[in-house]
Amino acid sequence: MTATIDRPSRPDGSIRVSSLPGRLRELASRQPESIALREKEFGIWRETTYGEYWHDVQSAAMAMWQLGVRPGDKVAIQSENRESWVIADLAAQAIQAVSVGLYATNPTAEVAYLLRHSESKILIAEDQEQVDKALAVEDLPDLEKIVYVEPRGVRAYIDPRLMSWAAFMAAGRAALEDDPHRVNGLVDTIDQESTATLVYTSGTTGPPKGAMLSHRNLTWASESAEDLIAAGGLPKGQPQLLSYLPLCHVFGRLYDVCGALAMGSCVNFAESIETVVADLAEIQPTYFPAPPRIWEKMHALVNIRMSDASFVKKALYTVFLKVGMKNAERLLATGSRGFVGEILHKVGQVLVYRSLQRKLGMQRCRQATSGAAPIAPEVIKFFLAIGIPLYEGWGMTETTALGTGNLPGNARLGTIGKAVNDDVMIRLEDDGEILIKSPGIFQGYFKNPEATAETIDADGWMHTGDVGEWDGDFLRIIDRKKDIIITAGGKNVSPSEIENQLKVSPFIKEAMVIGDRRKYLTALIGIELDTTSNWAQRKGITFTTYRDLSEKPEVIALIQKQVDAANEHFARVETIKRFVLIPKELDHEEGELTATQKLKRKVLEDRFSDLIEQMY
Amino acid sequence: MRGRPALFTRYESDSAMLPTTTQRVWLLVGLLVVAGAAVWLPRDWLILIATAFIASVGVIGLNLVTGYAGQVSLGHAFFLGVGAYAGAAFGGEATDKLVGFGLDVVLWIPLAGLVAAVIGAAIAPIAVRLRGLYLAFLTLGLVFLGEHVFREWDSVTGGPGIGRKPGVLRLAGWRFDLDGEIAGYAVTREQQIYWLALIVLIIMAFAAKNIVRSRIGRAFAAVRDRDIAAEVMGIDLTRYKVLAFAVSSFYAGVAGSLLFTVTGFVNTNSFNLLLSFAYIAMVVIGGAASITGSIMGATFLTLLPRLIDGAGGVLPFLKVSSQGLLSTSQLERIVFGALIIGFLIFEPRGLNGIWMRIRNYWKAWPFSY
Repeated sequence: MTATIDRPSRPDGSIRVSSLPGRLRELASRQPESIALREKEFGIWRETTYGEYWHDVQSAAMAMWQLGVRPGDKVAIQSENRESWVIADLAAQAIQAVSVGLYATNPTAEVAYLLRHSESKILIAEDQEQVDKALAVEDLPDLEKIVYVEPRGVRAYIDPRLMSWAAFMAAGRAALEDDPHRVNGLVDTIDQESTATLVYTSGTTGPPKGAMLSHRNLTWASESAEDLIAAGGLPKGQPQLLSYLPLCHVFGRLYDVCGALAMGSCVNFAESIETVVADLAEIQPTYFPAPPRIWEKMHALVNIRMSDASFVKKALYTVFLKVGMKNAERLLATGSRGFVGEILHKVGQVLVYRSLQRKLGMQRCRQATSGAAPIAPEVIKFFLAIGIPLYEGWGMTETTALGTGNLPGNARLGTIGKAVNDDVMIRLEDDGEILIKSPGIFQGYFKNPEATAETIDADGWMHTGDVGEWDGDFLRIIDRKKDIIITAGGKNVSPSEIENQLKVSPFIKEAMVIGDRRKYLTALIGIELDTTSNWAQRKGITFTTYRDLSEKPEVIALIQKQVDAANEHFARVETIKRFVLIPKELDHEEGELTATQKLKRKVLEDRFSDLIEQMY
Repeated sequence: MRGRPALFTRYESDSAMLPTTTQRVWLLVGLLVVAGAAVWLPRDWLILIATAFIASVGVIGLNLVTGYAGQVSLGHAFFLGVGAYAGAAFGGEATDKLVGFGLDVVLWIPLAGLVAAVIGAAIAPIAVRLRGLYLAFLTLGLVFLGEHVFREWDSVTGGPGIGRKPGVLRLAGWRFDLDGEIAGYAVTREQQIYWLALIVLIIMAFAAKNIVRSRIGRAFAAVRDRDIAAEVMGIDLTRYKVLAFAVSSFYAGVAGSLLFTVTGFVNTNSFNLLLSFAYIAMVVIGGAASITGSIMGATFLTLLPRLIDGAGGVLPFLKVSSQGLLSTSQLERIVFGALIIGFLIFEPRGLNGIWMRIRNYWKAWPFSY
C-alpha cells in the first residue's frame, strides 16, 4: 500500500486500511460467509454474503473499467437505496474513480445540472423514471453510458448509451475472469488523498455544491464510527442496519457504507420510504440513524395510537411514561437511573416499554441517533423514557458527517454533545460561528474554489455556518448563521428552536418562523395530514382536501392550542404572535423542500408572501 | 432469523406453522398436558373428551369444504355414516349375517376415509354446478338417500333396530378397546381410546393445516370469496370443488369410523339431519375457516350437555327429571339454539374469533390496533 497508515493497528491485529474497497476486501477474506447485504424481493429478504459482495464489486469495477472509466472519472448513481447502489459506489472507488450520488427525487432540471457539473462518464440509473430524466437532458458531452437496473419499461428504448445492469455485471464478471488482478492492484495503489466521492449538498440556497470527500475522509469516518460503537459496548452477534436514508446524503453513507464496513455488519435495504415502519419491525436494527422528522413521526404515532387505546392500556402507559420521563431526566443528569429508577424501569420494560420498542423496531437498538437537522429536546426525552437510547449528533457533508455527538452517559439535552473523538477540534469564532478541524474535513467544492476558500480558511479550519455556544463541555447550536432572525426590536431569535418546539405537536409537520426585521414573530405552519385528519374524523368534522382541512376553523383552533403550548417554552419576544396554515403540502418537486426535506426559506417566503403580509 | 422473528429469508419460514421456538415449545407442552391428563381424568370424562377429539376431525372436514372452500354442505351426516359402516365392514368381525374383514385399525381407518372420499368425489361433480342454497338442498338430499340405504343394506349395517358393532380397535394383536397393561402400568380401555383419538386428531389437524396454507388452501379461499374471480385467476373450479368435497368426505369418513367405537354400537338412524346440523353448529360456533376453531367448536358442543348436567345439581330451577321448570335436556336444546343465534349475531368468527381477539389484545399491546 502506498498510503501510510497513521493510526495504530487494532487490538485484534487487523490492519487499518486505506480505502473502503480495501476494507471490504479484508472483510471478504475474513468473514466471506457472513451476510453483508439483504434486499427484500417478493416478500422475503434475499441475502448476499461478504464474499459475493466483494466479487460483485470487483465485477462492477471491471465493467466500469471496460467502459472506459479511469482514475478520476465520475460515476453517477441515481437510485433509491439498493444493493446496486453500494456495489456501484465501491466499484467506482475501487478503480480510483469518483462516485456521485443523485437523489431519486431530483427533478430533471437538477439531474441536468448535476450530471453536467460533475462531468459524469457513466450513470447508474435505477429504473425507467431515472432513465427518462437523463435522456431528457441534451448536451451531456461526458456521459457515455447509462446503466439501468430495473429493465421494466426501458427494454424498448433505442439509445446507444443504454445498457442493462445484468449485461453490465455479466460483462464485468467475464472481464474479471480474464484479468483477476487489475482491481486488486488498483485498490492497493489508491492514494488516500485522492477524491473518492462527490456529495452534492442539498442547497437550501443556490445550486447544489459538490463536496469532494477523499479516501482518507471516508476511512477516517469509518474508523471513528467503529470506535464510537466500541465505546458503547459491542453488540452480540452481527450488527444489523436498515438502509433507508438516501445514500447520496452523507448521513446515510456514514452508516450504511462507512459504518457497515467498519463493523462488518449486515445492511438491509428498505423496500421504499413508505415501508420503513414495517421494515424496521422486521429488521430491528442494532444501530438506527434518523433525521428529526422520523423521530417526530414515531413520537406522534405513539401518541395517537395511545389516545385510541383502551382504558387499562392507556392508564399503564400514562403512569410509565411519567416514570420514564423522571428516569430520563436522571439518566441525563447523572448517567444512571439510580437503584429505584432502574427497578421501575425494569417493571416498565415488561409492562409497556418492551412492546413499544418492538412496535417501533427499536427492541434491539443499541444506539439511535438523531442528526441532519436539529431536534426538539422533548422528543429525545420521550425516547429515552421508553428505553430507546436516542442521542443527538451533529455533522455536515463537509466534515464527512462526523462532528460532535452525545453518548450514553455523556449527554446533555439540547446540545449536540462533544467532539466525537480526539481527532476533532472545535472552536467558536467571535460571532459564535463554529469552526471545526478534523481528518474528516472535505477537500473542497468541486469546480468551485471560491466557495471552498470561503469555507476552509488558510489554517485548515472549516467554517460551518452554524452559530453555537458552549454549555460547559457541550456544544449547543443556536441556528444556521444565515437563518438567525433579528427582530425589529433588535433581538436575536433562533427560528429552528421554535420550529422544532412547534413540531413536537403531532399535528404539525412543517413550521417556518418569520420575523426578520419585523415587529413580532409569526409562523407558516403545515399540518400533518394523517394525524389531523384522524383527529377531524373523530370530532365529526367533514373535509375534502388538505387545503379544505387546513381552512377549517376547528383545525385552526387546534393548531392555536399547539402554538400556545409551544410558546410557553419561550420568552415573550420569542413567542409566535400569529400564524397561518399553508394551504398545500410542501414538496421537493415544486422546489419548496430540498431533497432531504429541509425548507427552502427563500422560496417559501416568496411563494407565500401574501399570507405572510396578512399577519403583519 | 434468531432474535428477529419477523425477518424471513426463505418462504418456508415465512409460511411456517410455528415460526418461533417458543411457539413450538408451547405446543409440545400443551400436547403433553392433554395427553397426560388421561392419567387422572375419570372414565366418563375420558369418553366424552375422546368423542370430542373424534368429532373435531369431522368438524375439520366440514370446515374445509364449508369454511374454507365456501361450499355449504348439509350432507356431512351421510359421509359420517359412510365412514362408520366402511370402518365397521373393514374392521369388524364377519358373522353369518354381516360383512366383516377384521383388518387392523391402521388399515380400516384410512380405508373408511377413502370410501367416503370416493363417494364424495363421485357426488361432487353434480354439486359443482350449484351454489349457495341449491347446493345446501342437494346435500340435504344425500342425508335422506343415505338414511334409506343404511336401513336397507342389512349385510353391512345390520338393519334398523339391530345395528352392528363398529370396527375393532386392533393393532398387531393389541386391543385398544380392552383394558391392558403398558410397561407394567395398567391402562384402561377409555385411556387407550382417548390417546388413539388424540393421535388421529393431531395427524388430521396438522394435515388440514398444511392443506389450507398451501396452494390448495389458497385456491379454496379464492373459490369461496368469489368463484368467478377465482376462475379468472386460473383456478380450475371443478377440480378444486371436487377436491374440497373429497378431502372433506375423507375427514368425515375417518371421524365416522371412530365415532362409535367409544360407545361400541352403530345404529342406522344415527345419521340424520340433526347430526348434520350439529356439525354445522360446531363449525359456526367454533369459527368458520379455522382449524383451531373446529377443534374448539367440536369440544365445546360435545362437552355442553355434560356441563349443563353439572349445572343441574347447582341451579335450583333445573331438574334432572321432567318435573320442575326446565329439564336439563330441554335446557340443552334451548342453549344449543341460543348459542347458534348468539354466535351468528355477535361473534360470526366463533370461539376462534374470541380467541383471536384476546390474542390481538396482547399482540397490539400497548396499542389497541
